[in-house]
Amino acid sequence: MAQGVLVFAEQREGKFRKVAVEAVSEGKRLSDKLGGELNAAVVGTGVKDIAGSLGSYGAGKVYVVDHPGLQNYSSDGYAKALCKIVAETQPSVLLMGCTSMGRDLGPKVAARLGTGIAPDCTALSVNSDGKIVATQPMYAGKVIVQVACPTATPQIFTLRPNVFSPSAPDESRSAEVVQVDAGISSEELRTKVKGVIKATGATVDLTEAQVIVSGGRGMGGAENFKVLEELAAALGGAVGASRAAVDAGWRDHQFQVGQTGKTVSPVLYIACGISGSIQHLAGMKTSKVIVAVNKDPEAPIFKVADYGIVGDLFKVVPIMVEEAKRLLADQ
Amino acid sequence: MLGIGGKIVLLLCIVGSVGLFLHAAMLRYRLLRLGKSEPRLDRIGFRLQKFIANVLFQRSVLERPLPGLMHALVFWGFLVFLLATMNHVGEAFSKGFSIFFGAPIGDYYWGLVDLFSVLVLIGILALAFRRYVLKPECLTFPSRESAVIIVLISGLMISYVLAEALRMVPGTTESDRFRFVGAFVAQGFRPLNLSEGARHAGFMTFWWIHILAILFFLAYIPRSKHLHLLACPFNEFLLSLRPKGELTTLNLEDEAAESFGVSKINEFTWKDLLDFYACIECGRCQDNCPAHLSEKPLSPKLLIQDLKKHLLAVGPTLMQKRGDVAADTQPAEPEAPTIPGSVISDDTLWACTSCRACVEHCPLCIEPLGKIVDMRRYLVLVESRFPPEAVTVFKNMETNSNPWGIGWSQRGDWAKELGVKKLSENPNAELLFWVGCSGAFDDRNKKVSVAFVKILQTAGVNFAILGEEEKCCGDSARRLGNEYLFQMLAQENVETLNRYKAKKIVTTCPHGFNTLKNEYPRFGGNYSVVHHTQLIMELIRTGRLKLKNGSSSLVTYHDSCYLGRYNDVYDEPRDVLKAAGFAITRLVRERRSSFCCGAGGGRMWLEEKLGKRISEMRTKEIIEKGAKTVATACPFCLTMIEDGLKEMNKTDAVQTKDLAELVAERLSTS
Amino acid sequence: MGATTQNSGQLQEREPCVVNWKGRGAMKIVVLVKQVPDTEAKIEVKPGATSIVAENITYVVNPYDEYAVEEALRIKEKLGQGDVTVVAMGPEKATEALRTCLAMGADKGVHLKDAAFDGSDSYATALALSKALQGIPYDLVLCGKQAIDDDNAAVGIELAELLGLPHVAVVTKLEIGVDRRSAVCHREIEGASEVVETSLPAVITAQKGLNEPRYASLKGIMTAKKKPVEVKDAASLGLAPDKVGTQGSKAKILNMSLPPQRAAGKIVPGEPPDAARQTVKLLREEAKVI
Repeated sequence: MAQGVLVFAEQREGKFRKVAVEAVSEGKRLSDKLGGELNAAVVGTGVKDIAGSLGSYGAGKVYVVDHPGLQNYSSDGYAKALCKIVAETQPSVLLMGCTSMGRDLGPKVAARLGTGIAPDCTALSVNSDGKIVATQPMYAGKVIVQVACPTATPQIFTLRPNVFSPSAPDESRSAEVVQVDAGISSEELRTKVKGVIKATGATVDLTEAQVIVSGGRGMGGAENFKVLEELAAALGGAVGASRAAVDAGWRDHQFQVGQTGKTVSPVLYIACGISGSIQHLAGMKTSKVIVAVNKDPEAPIFKVADYGIVGDLFKVVPIMVEEAKRLLADQ
Repeated sequence: MLGIGGKIVLLLCIVGSVGLFLHAAMLRYRLLRLGKSEPRLDRIGFRLQKFIANVLFQRSVLERPLPGLMHALVFWGFLVFLLATMNHVGEAFSKGFSIFFGAPIGDYYWGLVDLFSVLVLIGILALAFRRYVLKPECLTFPSRESAVIIVLISGLMISYVLAEALRMVPGTTESDRFRFVGAFVAQGFRPLNLSEGARHAGFMTFWWIHILAILFFLAYIPRSKHLHLLACPFNEFLLSLRPKGELTTLNLEDEAAESFGVSKINEFTWKDLLDFYACIECGRCQDNCPAHLSEKPLSPKLLIQDLKKHLLAVGPTLMQKRGDVAADTQPAEPEAPTIPGSVISDDTLWACTSCRACVEHCPLCIEPLGKIVDMRRYLVLVESRFPPEAVTVFKNMETNSNPWGIGWSQRGDWAKELGVKKLSENPNAELLFWVGCSGAFDDRNKKVSVAFVKILQTAGVNFAILGEEEKCCGDSARRLGNEYLFQMLAQENVETLNRYKAKKIVTTCPHGFNTLKNEYPRFGGNYSVVHHTQLIMELIRTGRLKLKNGSSSLVTYHDSCYLGRYNDVYDEPRDVLKAAGFAITRLVRERRSSFCCGAGGGRMWLEEKLGKRISEMRTKEIIEKGAKTVATACPFCLTMIEDGLKEMNKTDAVQTKDLAELVAERLSTS
Repeated sequence: MGATTQNSGQLQEREPCVVNWKGRGAMKIVVLVKQVPDTEAKIEVKPGATSIVAENITYVVNPYDEYAVEEALRIKEKLGQGDVTVVAMGPEKATEALRTCLAMGADKGVHLKDAAFDGSDSYATALALSKALQGIPYDLVLCGKQAIDDDNAAVGIELAELLGLPHVAVVTKLEIGVDRRSAVCHREIEGASEVVETSLPAVITAQKGLNEPRYASLKGIMTAKKKPVEVKDAASLGLAPDKVGTQGSKAKILNMSLPPQRAAGKIVPGEPPDAARQTVKLLREEAKVI
């Protein structure tokens, strides 16, 4: 009989990702309500030593598959490992962060186990049948949906990062680390990571960036973009430009956002010194959150911005850089 | 007059010349038959009128007064000399031949010929001066053909006068009484005391020079740009009588069609091909083309010339192949080369803003614009090869019926707070306000819509808008060559308008105005369409709208291409400004010669990567007039000129306003 | 094969379906597409409903699937030969989406059309598609990384698992190996690109940036009318009613609602330096985007 919660805790280079901690914390809250165990699953290479720390967030046991071939993510390898742990622990609920890895691993495991999955959840609760009800946005957030897996087990949910609160760690508690042999051989891994190309501001394609900081006519010159580059770097994003800035020769055309440039849809778009003409909006209006910095309070961009700052961007942006660096130091 | 030997020689020369002439002329005529059919013989009476005005009275040529007059002299001289030439040949074969059979009227005629021998010489020498000394940019340099014709025509006149004078040296007759030039020059010969033999020899020399020059000219005409002499009268007579703003409509239902638009020389109509023959390379189109003047690779003149060369180069082979095809052999479709991308480059085709200055200023009714659109149609509908920015625009129009791709359900939102009813709520409205995409979605142009609504409400007009039922008129799609998308939008709009039984429509956008008025009728949409400046003038005239007597301000008015050249609306906007108390400083390039803002032809949506910015050129012109306000009547012009002012950091010094905004500011509500 | 996962209390691993692929020769590519509401469409929810109001909105080919179709066409053009089949599951009007893909250059279409498919979650969808693909030979399966309606981003990966194929998801660059038995992909992860090599056949899910989809020419639209589109219902795929649609779904939508009205954007108050600090804080805590 399936019971309890299992959390797949994603680690990167020997450190658990923030969302993993959030997931474990949420998993504990759910397992308390469901009345069952909370365990964690960790997969990778050389991860035995960090596994126990998940106990401070409430994990009872941490099941580890430690294998040299799993240094980089491999869907075959990680899926096999996680399914082995699932087979051993028979949880009723499986959680993981909705990260690049979670988006890949979750559905594969769901299909392998013949169960249901709800991704990118922003809230989880327990209903009267003891089943989890997840809140999932659809239609790019225009619709909110309540999803559940009434019969299939384990009920799989991937959690949106930065939404669930991590509980305060109780350093006194440590989890029992259980090593699991998933019987993985390197040959059976059909996809192999050959290399990783880190994205810097200049090489990341604007259309793929999650955060974009853009400059317009108000920038006044090519060298002034430096402060935008700093903000982008602090937020892990890319730098874009409006047509006015590109025409003035301050940025290359490949970074132009707008009707005749690129259409972008990042999670966060910060428009600095951009008036917000319709041609520019056409290229970025589907951004999830828009911030505008402009000294003209009548600028049309403020009509579409979620957050607007009326002021001199050269005074505002450096402060944003400072603040961002400070807040994100622990990411 | 000639001896038997002379007669034979002359006869041979005549036969030879006429033969050469016919050979070349017939070839060129047959090449015309390669083109597709196009009916151009409607409204004969009107055509005759235009023909008489433009050809006989040289009206379109005289638009450039001085060169025009010089040309007119040469042309009229040519006509006058026709009879003289016939007489020249006649007298060679029959002594004492006179084409007037001795009637006194002949005497007046010969006086006229004398007059024109001088006028033509003045004309041709003035034009030579223009070409070789003034060297205007509109002309083609070098031009051997021009040199030949200058020498020929001057030589013809000089040889005529000299022959005449030498004939008159011994004495004149009664019938010579009007030949004052001949008499004058004869006076100059008399002191030389030429012997009879020398005089006669001199006379015969110039006599032969004259006739041989004519015969050479005859053979030369069809082989050079002077084919213009033959083609031009026909071209003027066969000019397009469709509304200026209506492009040709493609039949897209034809399942068997292999291609759309024009990619090969034989896909043009015969009239297009005739245009090539008519072009004399005067360059007036080029002088008025915003693409050419902003250093883009498009010159309407060169376009026509390149296509002419191409026709003459590949046409004969195509004709041959066609002729060889017997009924029962394989129907081998002669493969003409593809023009877009080779004979005419893609960049050339996309540079056009469809401003129509080339068509308007061509004295010979040549139409480069339609040919450019036809080639764009090929590129879009068949090759799917066009500037990548246009993909987004097309997809946006398909999915959300506007070029920016904003949700169509939001099209009526701009009017929500204004108490404006939709046609669905007020089906008995006397007037439909067609807002257009810019007026509904573009922040700057929404202000114009709001201003116009204020005007309509103040005047108590019972109007309505379509709201989200309105779709893009399709003008940009059609001008970019996407005829399929245009027809789809047109049919949908016409269906909606007809469902509401719309009768009178007003719009603030000249492109919408042009399309609804001139192009929708072919899709079953027949409405009375006015531009908002026309309506405002009407409201002022009938007293429904009263304006405050504000302080007189200076304003510069920019004529939009689609309002002005396309639909001849020049006066109403100016009258509106005057009624509103403005004084207008006139731009040099105004009315028919207005300089495009650069956004037409679908170019509003494309990147301007080559040459200079057209909008900046126009803005500079406007700023130089010194007015603090620029008045426009088109959302594209408004956007482009404002952008130009922003580029030049002049937005504090000069403001751009639509006429509706200027009027709305001066409404008297009492 | 055919192990069930009924709620017998016992978890069993699902065995993959029989894989069917072509060996050497012209490359056969299958592209999965979905017809979805346009991003600008005004979405409304019927009261008490588990789906949106489908009337009076514009539908388009899922943008991510367009990248997949375009990539398939480019591979076919590069190799000089090949076959591109587009497969869609959806109601009657989904044929429009298939015709659009055919107009771009795909060769034939398969339409999974059956009222029984309504309400399928990602698992039920993947199951139906896997049955359909058993009838089609392929060397490569492409699809978009996610559908912009449900945003689940799961069908492609689940399908790969059910077919027993490897997958590489969120791909921005795809190079087919010379032997056509392998491919190298660039896969987008946080702040970087993973270069992943995979054996073929495989399922590749497309991310924005993979290519620029072509605009179908009128010629393409006209020839598309004559290209074959096969229609398959649940029975013809050998699927019992309890395996498809809402019945066959493992994850079920309990209800659907509109989120609270997006607060009009606000001007962050205070002097610029304070507003700057406050904004970053709000981005973190309120908007939760950094």
